Amino acid sequence: MSTPTLYLPRDSRLHHLHPLTKLALIGLAIVAGATLPVTLWVIAVYLLILMPLAAWGKVLPAFLRSSLLLIWPFALSLTLIQGFFAPGEHILLQLGPLSLKLEGIQLAADYTARILVWLSAVILLMLITRPDQLMLALTERGLPRQIGYIILTALQIIPRFQQRAETILDSQRARGLETEGNLVKRLRALVPLVAPLILSSILELDERAIALEARGFTRAGPRTSLTTLKDTAPQSAFRWLSLIVMLLLILARAAGWMTA
Amino acid sequence: MDRLKREFSTLTIVLIPVAIALNIAIGTLVLNLKVPLYLDSIGTVLVGALVGPWAGAVTGFLASFVWTLTGLFPQAIAWVGVAAIIGALAGAFRSGDWWEKWWKSILAGLITGVIAAILSAPIAAYVFGGVTGSGTDALVALFRATGLDMLGANMAQGVVSDPIDKAVTFFIIWAILRALPGRLKARFSGD
Repeated sequence: MSTPTLYLPRDSRLHHLHPLTKLALIGLAIVAGATLPVTLWVIAVYLLILMPLAAWGKVLPAFLRSSLLLIWPFALSLTLIQGFFAPGEHILLQLGPLSLKLEGIQLAADYTARILVWLSAVILLMLITRPDQLMLALTERGLPRQIGYIILTALQIIPRFQQRAETILDSQRARGLETEGNLVKRLRALVPLVAPLILSSILELDERAIALEARGFTRAGPRTSLTTLKDTAPQSAFRWLSLIVMLLLILARAAGWMTA
Repeated sequence: MDRLKREFSTLTIVLIPVAIALNIAIGTLVLNLKVPLYLDSIGTVLVGALVGPWAGAVTGFLASFVWTLTGLFPQAIAWVGVAAIIGALAGAFRSGDWWEKWWKSILAGLITGVIAAILSAPIAAYVFGGVTGSGTDALVALFRATGLDMLGANMAQGVVSDPIDKAVTFFIIWAILRALPGRLKARFSGD
């Protein structure tokens, strides 16, 4: 299946886990990233849980590359916006009327660590899980199969749509449409670029609908799946345990049991 | 329940993934054109306008998950509620012929943009420390420098960026609706 997702096929124990087990693992990291009170603990979730997991799944280089690529704009914006504008006493650097403050930098570091854990946890899930298996696992647990169809189809057709957008861009340029130059010119180019893409995609919908109807998509009754997912009792136990830990973390944070 | 069933015909089920792909393809195309717009909810608004508020909301909701799944913009999932509301509003504007006149569609887009800005700001301010990791962070810094607090600066940034983006989005969809034959539109409608 060709999709624009991050999935990397590897022969690892992590890859062979049930998709819901991976989801529980990632959910645990996300909840920990949101609830742990100390920045260092949050960083520890990345260094001591997510990175070893990525290594276990044999996707560490891609994991590090993606997470760094995603986090640096956040780190930059946060350092500037929180560093200069958060209230604080310890001035590190004075630039005219603006001052860089230690408290702001600490706040920026805290947010950056949490965002790093959230985004990289999602990235890790995508690196080690085939989207169709994830949707299958959720469908087996009661998610309407239409939702699975919508998400997987969208993932499949995105590359084709991006290609079609490029083709339209090229052909309109060949006909003399100005897509460069000042802002007004670029804005005027929008409709001739966007409208053909939308119209052509609406006009092909009937074929898709007929294809689905012809294959019994709307029929009632049970379905059989081409792929089967392997689940084990320890994995199911782990998922329940993660759920309990997640709830405890949220409760502890809300009740103020955890302090720095 | 009846309305829900009518909105989710097979035709709608095949329309939604196409709309999500449009969000992403057009969103990235616009990014490359370097115009200060996103147009990344254009497919969501299309579904709302063609089918109705429920289908629009579901499109926005699922589009956020797809943005996350592609890894292009994994933080999208944090704004899943806002994306759903944009789709629902596009559908809600079907009553009261907001989609009939070009200027009414622009007005509807402006209203949607203001609502989206107000709903998005607390998420950026409280969850992400006031930033989104994109170019609009410069505007947030600017508004912080004028003395606004983090929520205020994020709201101001949203109110500057979002209504224009949604007005252009709604106007393009208005033009698309006009170009489509009425018989085709009637088949999508969940009314």
